[in-house]
Amino acid sequence: MPASAGAVARLMRHLAIPAIIIAFSVVVIWASLLLDLSPEMIVGDSMQPRVFPIVLMILNIALAATLAIQYTRAPPRPVEMEGVTTWGSIILFVVFFLLTVYVDMMIAIAVVVFAMCLLWGERRLPVALAIAIITPSSIFLLFDTVLRVRFPRGLFTNWYYG
Amino acid sequence: MLEALQAMGSVLFDPYLLLLIFATTVIGVIIGVLPGLGATTGAALLLPFTLTMEPVHAIAVLSTIYVSATFAGSITAILINTPGTSAAAATTFDGYPLAQRGEAGRALGIAVVSSTVGGVFSVIVLCIAAPLLARVAYEFRPPEYFALALFGLSMLASISAGGAVRNLIGGVFGVWLATIGAEKTTGIERFMFGNYELYEGLSFVPVFIGLFAISELLVQSKFVHRAVAAVLLKAVQLPSMADYKRIWKTVLRSCGIGTFIGVLPAEGATVASMIGYAEARRWSKNKDEFGKGSVEGIAGAEAANNSATGGAMVPTMVLGIPGSGTTAVILVGLLVHGLRPGPYLFTEQVTQVYQIFGAMLLANLMFMAMGLYAAKIFARISLVPSKMLWPIVFALAVIGAYALSASLLDVWIALVFGVIGFLARRFGFAVAPIAVGLILGEMVETNLQNSLKMFEGDWWLIFTQPLAALFLFFAFLGLFGSAIFGWLRKRFWSST
Repeated sequence: MPASAGAVARLMRHLAIPAIIIAFSVVVIWASLLLDLSPEMIVGDSMQPRVFPIVLMILNIALAATLAIQYTRAPPRPVEMEGVTTWGSIILFVVFFLLTVYVDMMIAIAVVVFAMCLLWGERRLPVALAIAIITPSSIFLLFDTVLRVRFPRGLFTNWYYG
Repeated sequence: MLEALQAMGSVLFDPYLLLLIFATTVIGVIIGVLPGLGATTGAALLLPFTLTMEPVHAIAVLSTIYVSATFAGSITAILINTPGTSAAAATTFDGYPLAQRGEAGRALGIAVVSSTVGGVFSVIVLCIAAPLLARVAYEFRPPEYFALALFGLSMLASISAGGAVRNLIGGVFGVWLATIGAEKTTGIERFMFGNYELYEGLSFVPVFIGLFAISELLVQSKFVHRAVAAVLLKAVQLPSMADYKRIWKTVLRSCGIGTFIGVLPAEGATVASMIGYAEARRWSKNKDEFGKGSVEGIAGAEAANNSATGGAMVPTMVLGIPGSGTTAVILVGLLVHGLRPGPYLFTEQVTQVYQIFGAMLLANLMFMAMGLYAAKIFARISLVPSKMLWPIVFALAVIGAYALSASLLDVWIALVFGVIGFLARRFGFAVAPIAVGLILGEMVETNLQNSLKMFEGDWWLIFTQPLAALFLFFAFLGLFGSAIFGWLRKRFWSST
C-alpha cells in the first residue's frame, strides 16, 4: 500500500504543471466570456474580440492534456529545490518594489544591488558598497544626460531635479 | 544592386557608425564570454540604450551584439568548458579536449576562422535572399500572412530547448499575451483590469528584459559557488594549411546548414551548431577523434552557429517573423525605431537596410580581429564572479525596462516576467517561444480577422489560396511531421 500511495503522490506531482496550465486556461476563458461584445456592424464577417483568446485557451487545454499524457508515460526529472540565494533574490525584488514606491527608485536600486552582492557571496563590504553606488549612479547619469530619461520622483530625484 | 553595394560601402565612411560597431563588438564579445549572458539577454539589455540613436545605428548595434556574442561563446567553451552562449554548447565537445591537450590557441584559431567564414557567408546570403524573398512577399495578403505566422509558431515545436508540447504551450501563452490591451478593430478592452497603461498592449521591451535577463539572473543564482578552471592560453594560432585542408569542406557544409536553419522561423544558432556538429561527425573520415579534440568538430559547430545569424535576419526583416530569440529583440528594435519589418522595407528604406547588412558584415570581420588578438583578455573577463556581475545586470535591467516609456509599470512587468520566465525554465519550458508568440500574436489575429472579412466569414477559403495552403501544410509538417515519419518508418521499415 505505501508503495502505491507513493506512486500516486509522484503521479500527482507530475500532473501538477498540466493542471495549473488547464486551470489558468479555464480562468482566461471565463474572463474572456465577461468581455464586452462589439456591435455586429463593426465586427461584420470577422470575429468578436473574445473568440480569439477562447480559441487559444482551448488549444492550450488540449496541449496541457497531451503534456499530462506524456508525463504519465515518461515522468519529468525531479526539480531541485531552490537555495537561499534564489529565494533571497526574489524577496529583494519585492524590497525593490516597496522602496521604489515609497522612497526612490535610484536608492532602491543601490540598496538591492548592495544586498544582492552580499546575498550572492560577496564578503568584502567596501566592494559591495562600491558596486552598489557606482553602478546605479553611472547608469543614472548616462540615462539622464545622454538619453534624457526622467526618473520617477523620490527622495534622491527630488534633490537632484530640484 | 549598385545602390545596395553603395549603401553597404557607406558604412565605412561613417566614423560614428564605425566607432559604434567597434565598441559594440567589444561589448558583444564580453557579453558572449560571460556565462549566462548570451546574445539575446545582451541585446535586450542594450535595446534601451539605442533609443536616441538613428535607426540604422540602433539596429547595427543590436545586430553587432548578435554576431559578436554568438562567436564569443566559443572562447569560454574552449578555455573553461563553459559555453558563454547556448549556441557554443557543441563547441565544448571538442574545443575543451583540444585545449586540455595544450592546443587552446589552435582550437580558438579554428573557431575564429570558422565563425568568420560562417558569418560572412550568411550576410552574403542575406543580401541576396532577402530582396528575392521580399519580391515574393509583395504578393502576400492576409491569408498568406496568417498562414505564415502559424508556420512560424509551428516551428516552435522543433526548437531545441524544452519539448515540442512545452514549446507550443509557451508559444500559445505568448500569443495570448499579445491579446492584452484594446482590440485593434473594435477597441474592446481585453484583460486590462482597469489599467489604462495597458491600452496599447504589453510593451515588448520590459517583457523581453524580464524573460531573458531577470529570469537568467534567477537561474544563475543557483550556480553562485560554481568554480571554473581556466586552461592556459599562450596565443591564438591561425589554422595551419593541414588544418584548412581538413576543415574546409566541413566549414562550407556547416555554412549551408546554419544559414538554412537560421532562415527557418523560430530556429536559431543553437540548433544550427548541434546539427552542424552532428553532420561534421557523420561526414568525417576521423569519427574516432570526435569528443577528444577534433578540429572538424569545432569548425562544424562554429561555422554553423555564426551562419545562422545572417539566416535568422532574413525572415525577421522580410516577413516580420523572428528567426531566433535574439532576432525577436532586433525585430522589437526595428519597430521601436519606426522601421516596419516586411517586404516594403526593401523598397522604401533600401539604403538603411543595406547599411544594416554592411554593419553586420563589418562586425563579423571585427570579431575576427578581436578573437585573434584579444581572446586571452576576454577569457579573463569570463572569470568575473557572479556575485559582482548579476547585481549589475539587475540594475541595468530595471533601468532599461523603465527607460523606454518612462513607466514604472514596465519595471513591474519586467520583474513579474522575470519570475514567470524563471518558473517556466525551472519546469522545463523555454522562454524563447513566449517571446516569439508575443511578437507573432498580433500578426496571427489581425490577419485572421482580415482574412475572414475578405472571404465574408468563410474561413475555410483560406485553404484555397495556394501560398497560404503551402504554409499551412508546412505548419502541419512542423507539428506532426516527425511523428508521421516516425510511424511510417516503423511500419514500413520493420515490415521490410
